[in-house]
Amino acid sequence: MTRVWIQGDAITAEVDDVSSPIRFTWAGRTHNVKTVANRWRVDANWWRLRLWHEYFKLTTDTGLLVVVYHDLVDGEWYLQRLYD
Amino acid sequence: MTNYVELHAHSYFSLLDGASSPDDLLRRARELGMDALALTDHDAVYGAVPFVKAAREIGIRPILGAEMTLEGDPTPHHLTLLVEEACGWANLCQLITLARHNAPKGNALLPSDALEGHTKGLIALSGCRLGEIAAAIRYNDPQTALKTAQRYRDLFGRNHFFIELQHHLLPHDDSLTADLVALAEQIGVPYVATNNVHYARRESSRLQDVLVCIRHLKPLEEAASLCRPNSEYYLKSADEMCALFADYPDAITQTRHIAERCTFDLSFGLQELPTFPAPEGMSAHAYLQKLCVEGLVTRRIEPTDEIKRQLDYELGVIERSGLANYFLIVWDLVRFARTNDILCQGRGSAANSLVAYLLGISPVNPMEHDLVFERFLSDERQVVPDIDIDFQADRREEVIQYVYERYGNEHAAMACTFVTFRARSAIRDVGKALGLPPEVLDRAARTIDTFKSGRIAEVGDLDAIFGSKATFDQLADLADQIDGFPRHLGIHNGGMIVMGVPLSSRLPTELATMPDRYVVQWDKDAIEDAGLVKIDILGLRMLSAIAEAKQTVEAITGQPLDLDELRFDDPAIYDMVSAADTIGVFQVESRAQQQVLPRLQPRQFNDLIVSISLIRPGPVQGNMVHPYLRRRLGQETVIYPHPLLQPALEETLGVVLFQEQVLKVARDLAGFTGGQGEGLRRALGSKRAHEALDRFHVAFLDGAARKGVENPIADAVFDTLRAFGGYSFPKSHAAAFAVLVYQSAWFKHYHPAAFYAALLNHQPMGFWSPAAIVNDAKRHGIRVLPVEVNMSAGKCTVQGGAIRLGFNQVKGFGAVAIERVMETRMVSDFCSLADFCHRTQLPQRLIENLILAGGMDGWGKTRRSLVWELGKLDYRPDTLPLDLPEDTLDLPPVSLLEVMGIEYGLLGISLRDHVMTLYRPQLLERGILGNRDLERCQDGDTVTVAGQILVHQAPPTAKGHHFITLEDEDGFINIIVRPDVYAQYRRVLRESPLLVIEGTVQHSRGVLNVIAANASALP
Repeated sequence: MTRVWIQGDAITAEVDDVSSPIRFTWAGRTHNVKTVANRWRVDANWWRLRLWHEYFKLTTDTGLLVVVYHDLVDGEWYLQRLYD
Repeated sequence: MTNYVELHAHSYFSLLDGASSPDDLLRRARELGMDALALTDHDAVYGAVPFVKAAREIGIRPILGAEMTLEGDPTPHHLTLLVEEACGWANLCQLITLARHNAPKGNALLPSDALEGHTKGLIALSGCRLGEIAAAIRYNDPQTALKTAQRYRDLFGRNHFFIELQHHLLPHDDSLTADLVALAEQIGVPYVATNNVHYARRESSRLQDVLVCIRHLKPLEEAASLCRPNSEYYLKSADEMCALFADYPDAITQTRHIAERCTFDLSFGLQELPTFPAPEGMSAHAYLQKLCVEGLVTRRIEPTDEIKRQLDYELGVIERSGLANYFLIVWDLVRFARTNDILCQGRGSAANSLVAYLLGISPVNPMEHDLVFERFLSDERQVVPDIDIDFQADRREEVIQYVYERYGNEHAAMACTFVTFRARSAIRDVGKALGLPPEVLDRAARTIDTFKSGRIAEVGDLDAIFGSKATFDQLADLADQIDGFPRHLGIHNGGMIVMGVPLSSRLPTELATMPDRYVVQWDKDAIEDAGLVKIDILGLRMLSAIAEAKQTVEAITGQPLDLDELRFDDPAIYDMVSAADTIGVFQVESRAQQQVLPRLQPRQFNDLIVSISLIRPGPVQGNMVHPYLRRRLGQETVIYPHPLLQPALEETLGVVLFQEQVLKVARDLAGFTGGQGEGLRRALGSKRAHEALDRFHVAFLDGAARKGVENPIADAVFDTLRAFGGYSFPKSHAAAFAVLVYQSAWFKHYHPAAFYAALLNHQPMGFWSPAAIVNDAKRHGIRVLPVEVNMSAGKCTVQGGAIRLGFNQVKGFGAVAIERVMETRMVSDFCSLADFCHRTQLPQRLIENLILAGGMDGWGKTRRSLVWELGKLDYRPDTLPLDLPEDTLDLPPVSLLEVMGIEYGLLGISLRDHVMTLYRPQLLERGILGNRDLERCQDGDTVTVAGQILVHQAPPTAKGHHFITLEDEDGFINIIVRPDVYAQYRRVLRESPLLVIEGTVQHSRGVLNVIAANASALP
């Protein structure tokens, strides 16, 4: 089962020197990143409302497997997907 | 100097895919501190020459190559090739040629066995995601990936094949990269990183998306799977690339190793021309000399010492430049044309050459017109001469075909041309990609004012059309960016290149639009920059018109007509030209010309040369026209800054008008050789030759000092050259054209019916529309008879001194329809509509057009009733129509205006009285004037005039002024609209065919204009 937040659920994140997240806070709880399983970027829909995101598929020390993304337009971080 | 060199980059010469010019890529590379860059467009080296040229200027080492498309199953594969050394270039050209010839025009597909034997001198990179190996890995087929990689390794050699790694932050790029590295290590080849660059900067990814949409004819909304998923395909810095390949640093350092190996330098120089078969084993030089001596006889020139000296001198320069063969090839072409009665003449700087004149290539004797050979060719100038020849446009193909046949497809091809995006087409294409409705785009494209700078003007009402400024801004911005981008290969322009060796070993060829025709992948500019000679086989419609008029006159009079016999001294011709009665006359018929000719008053051939050279945007901008005219009219004394300049500038009253004069001034005042003078002239005309010009300045002052000319004077003269030299015109070119001015004027004066008919038959050409030409004919007392189903020929003909319009003037009537009518009519005349339909079986639409154009008026029925009858005939082409009994039907009459409108729409001409006659009664009542009234007006009078808009010009040199010509039943009314007035009335002036203009008369020295204050449409 996967939970998906189409609009993304807002989180705060801390990154390392290559802009990769090392920890994030979601729903009041802080999660440290264990591994970055995958990382990719999308830049689309610019003619209406630009969608420029950098996605990270992460495992955390709290046992989560998630996809978070960094919105490169507004600079905020969001949770997109939570795997069960 | 960075460690990373980009080895895989596409410019906009990857048509409708790359979104940056080669220049842009190089500039960005420079900013990033790179010292080398590769250009690898799709199956093409279109951009090689501009790339190398710009790279040299900017100080970056250019690496040439291409991304090849290979046959593959189920889809084609990509392979990146880089040129390491000279044999690699030849192989690349041959591979591209093979790929291009193996696919429909515009596409390329390299056969799978083609690489064999063509790998020497090339370095191969395994390609992007669409490379055979990467694709196999992505489709989970490691065995194929392995076998393929081994095959390429063995084909190119271990040292010449690299596994290409690309990382665009796509979801599977990490694993793909890891797999590729493992494979490389397994088979023992190195790996290298590239970024598959498609644009110089990230922002241009939008434009790249738009290009993809244009290519696939889909709007962005529907093109998600076709566009790239992100904007990572820009020229990245070494730091960015190192970060992406942090786990594989060798991939980065390898780029530098490869770059250092690619030492091939596209050196420019004269190609090996085919050896012309001279008789009895004579050398090309000897044969050329023989032909020139024969030319002295043909041209009836006395071989004086001066002539012999000049001839020897020219032949010497030609021989030393290695161009004897080239001249023979061109001579042969002209000989072919003359033998087949195809009118032709050389233009441009070649007319400076006595050899060219004696060979029959150029129409003017340079000795008679004091022309300068060094403007064309000299020992000093390492510049390749351009011989351009105008042929009858309608028979140009025969000449081109001759070249292909004589030298073979492998040795002769045309230069390619690119159709580029221009503001109007850009608006449409970009707008479609953005998903904007077509009606909106149509209106926008039509009303947009385009300026040379390409910046799309922000006009108030365009915002209203688009609904939101943001939408318009986005569209305008993208259209601006795309302006000037090559869109696709266009129809050839006549530049032909011939080589002794097969072309494909020097540059690739591909299929042209015409069957069995090939083009090289370089356009005229690239060919010229590369130092290759080409022959420009140009089509000039005026030559076709003259040829046709000649034939018509010969048929009517039964006497042959030799245009070479014309002596250029008939006062009647000069009277006509001086009165600006020049509609239809070559080069001097434009509105601008008509405004100046009455003041210039040409009286001899040289005056025609001056007229052509003087009345152009350049001299207008350089403020040369008025000074010259004032001196000519005696309002200003002619003074020469120094007596030494008199011989050179006497003919133009002290004004530097001709390019040849720059050379003469430099020679006479500063002792420059011809070659140096030509160098100076080129520097004056170039925008980027500051350093060269400074050097010339010093040399000029030195030379002048040695001749005893005072420094301030020499300096002032050099300043004059600086001011005017850039706008000067080649006298040789003007002289060659002046011949046609005279010939066309001669026909207009002595054989007007034949001449006008010929002009109508070779449209579009010249400045004026067919309607204006017809009206001019009528004003000269020539009757113009309508299209008539039993009287007309396919084209316009002269019948009893009148012009009979031909079927070619009726909308929709092409060669096939015309032939059908003419062949059918040979049996017997048409006696009724039904008869016409039965026998010609033409489509109903065409017959309707013919009826409405008046073609069947001779049968006494109204056009309306004939159209009605056509409908009732239940006519279907190629089936037997059913005749129905005739009814008498009362159809309401059609207004005259409607009839004229219809005729005009179908013919582009109305033979009736001018449309303004319909309005004349009400105009008289309202005190609105026409052409005949204006004559009486004084300078400064306030008037209101009306007429049908014929011409609307906004030349870039006119600083925002617009020039409009109105026509009524008596002639023209010239209107000048200042920028502020234009801004107010733009819509009306652009969209209304009939205008009422209120303004002030400007009447001086025989020329009359109305300066507009306001404008409205005539309802």
